[in-house]
Amino acid sequence: SIDTLMSSEKEEDPDVIPEDSSLLTLRIRKKVLERREETIIVDRACRQETLTYEMESHATGKRPDNPTDLTEEGELLLTLNIFYPVIFQKHKDHKPFQTVLVLGSQKLTELRDSISCVSDLQIGGEFSSQPDQAPEHISKDLYKSAFFYFEGIFYNDKRYPECRDLSRTIIEWSESHDRGYENLQSVKMEDYVFNDLTLKIGFPYLYCHQGNCEHIIIITDIRLIHHDDCLDRNLYPLLIKKHWLCTRKCFVCKMYTARWVTYGDSLAPQDPCFFCDVCFRMLHYDAEGNKLGEFLAYPYVDPGIFN
Amino acid sequence: MSAVPGLKEDCEELLGAFQQADTVRFERFAELWRERRFHTVFHGRMRALERNKLTKKTLELAQQYFLPPYSFQIRVGALYLLYGLYNAQLCQPKQKIRIALKDWPEIQKFQQDLLDSQHYDAAYIFRRLRLARAFHFTAMPKLLTYRTKKKIEENYFKEEFKDPSNRVNSLITNDVLEELMNIHDHYQKMKCVISADKSQPDKALSLIKDDFVVNLKDITLEHQEWQQNRMKLFQNAKETDKTENKKKEGALLESEGSERANALARIKYKSYSAVVEASKSRRHRQVQLESSEAGSSCGKSPSRSEKSRRRRQPARRIGEIQVAKETVTRHIGMPIITEENSDE
Repeated sequence: SIDTLMSSEKEEDPDVIPEDSSLLTLRIRKKVLERREETIIVDRACRQETLTYEMESHATGKRPDNPTDLTEEGELLLTLNIFYPVIFQKHKDHKPFQTVLVLGSQKLTELRDSISCVSDLQIGGEFSSQPDQAPEHISKDLYKSAFFYFEGIFYNDKRYPECRDLSRTIIEWSESHDRGYENLQSVKMEDYVFNDLTLKIGFPYLYCHQGNCEHIIIITDIRLIHHDDCLDRNLYPLLIKKHWLCTRKCFVCKMYTARWVTYGDSLAPQDPCFFCDVCFRMLHYDAEGNKLGEFLAYPYVDPGIFN
Repeated sequence: MSAVPGLKEDCEELLGAFQQADTVRFERFAELWRERRFHTVFHGRMRALERNKLTKKTLELAQQYFLPPYSFQIRVGALYLLYGLYNAQLCQPKQKIRIALKDWPEIQKFQQDLLDSQHYDAAYIFRRLRLARAFHFTAMPKLLTYRTKKKIEENYFKEEFKDPSNRVNSLITNDVLEELMNIHDHYQKMKCVISADKSQPDKALSLIKDDFVVNLKDITLEHQEWQQNRMKLFQNAKETDKTENKKKEGALLESEGSERANALARIKYKSYSAVVEASKSRRHRQVQLESSEAGSSCGKSPSRSEKSRRRRQPARRIGEIQVAKETVTRHIGMPIITEENSDE
């Protein structure tokens, strides 16, 4: 009975703002809506908005098929913002980031695996002479070391024998002179879960991989898990927000995403120049596969590849 | 996050009306809500993403009024407001109310207060919200965002919603008085024990006033009465002030003069009392009249030194109702100015 006191008696369309509203909020909103109607021709959700909304809400309320995958009661949910390393100039003011939800009982290695960075996919090497032999090994497979830095402790990924302790350099540097950083330690990432850590909310921490690709991590929120959240453990770490990066298109066809970049190319109008696979081969190689002209070519992975 | 335009004013208007109504009953609040058709605050054509964001901000704003230092009545009003907003929202699934861990014990104390003072409707509403799983239990009250703000908004508490300055109150509480009483008795007994005549202490041992605790209670009671009188006078002053304002709206010169007089009087007042000074929003009000009783009562209190001024905490059960009553009256900030000053 108390509920009905709140709601309106007659059926109302929530899209329509009543004319005689006593609320200031509605009067202001009405003006904004009217102006929008005048200026916008087609008022429809654009791709970015649909994507953002979908990402935020696609996992709410999901339950696992297998009951052992259910999150436990009293589980903590952390919201992390992982910033991209600055690639473009225009990002220097508002750094783009992705937002990930992580359970308190998950290991740090799980978070590490879920972070997708374009530098992981780079293929090193110059392949102008043998374009077909661009190797399949991406940097992610070659350089497997990574570390997290939280509150004075470096958590190094030591799951594979190739992983090296990247933080050793930093620890040695800080111990060589009295630089004012006490007690930096180095431990293994796979032994720790998020519940073991001491964290500050809003304080920037670091994730470093590939030796020099650094991401800032900021924890924005810690809360208890809720009935309406996604309760399937397998879906965590869950990506709920991603920055949309425009991909660079091929210079020739302007349709496909660039896969090759050339330097010092006498056939190309600018230096460096981007080509998609098809246009690249058509321009730079004749029917037998011989190289035409002088150039250096590298495989290119666009940062917008994760869109 | 940038605020929803107009929402703060609307909420404060509703809570102000509730405070004026001088009750904590839900039926009264529901009437006020229906008068304003507050559930329409979520209306207006918008897509799901924007609606989610808007609802989050609305709940966050309303949640601020639910916590101390707002007065008891405002907090109950905020509870009703949260209940209304939570149920009136159009998002599916519903956006939740964020409560920080540090605030949770206070909220539980608040709930206990509600039960003790038999405000069962408010307690029921709170229980309904809990059962509906309307709360997110978070570490920090505000969700952080990373956009460069154009201006830093200061969180400004509406002065009228706060309790009148309770600093003396928090110092001398009921417990403290009880303990003082106990210690005093114990002391007297000790003196009797060590003196020759077992029934009463030696004359040489009387170093303190015997009835000091009783005096303390009397003084705090007087202080309380004095504050109440001041509040009443200020309320009267404000009411007549409103009617006078309508007549003299264009008097800019006068307002300047009275502003200076305000400042002078305010400085004088600061040195006498510990009351919080008026918020900036009051400056435009020209307080022109004065009353001689007010002047004399103001004159009386500073004569007693502040240190001996104590405030008596009324007894628990009666205290609840009294506290609820006191918070209705307006907060005093603006001192009364005599007419000679404003003519300058």
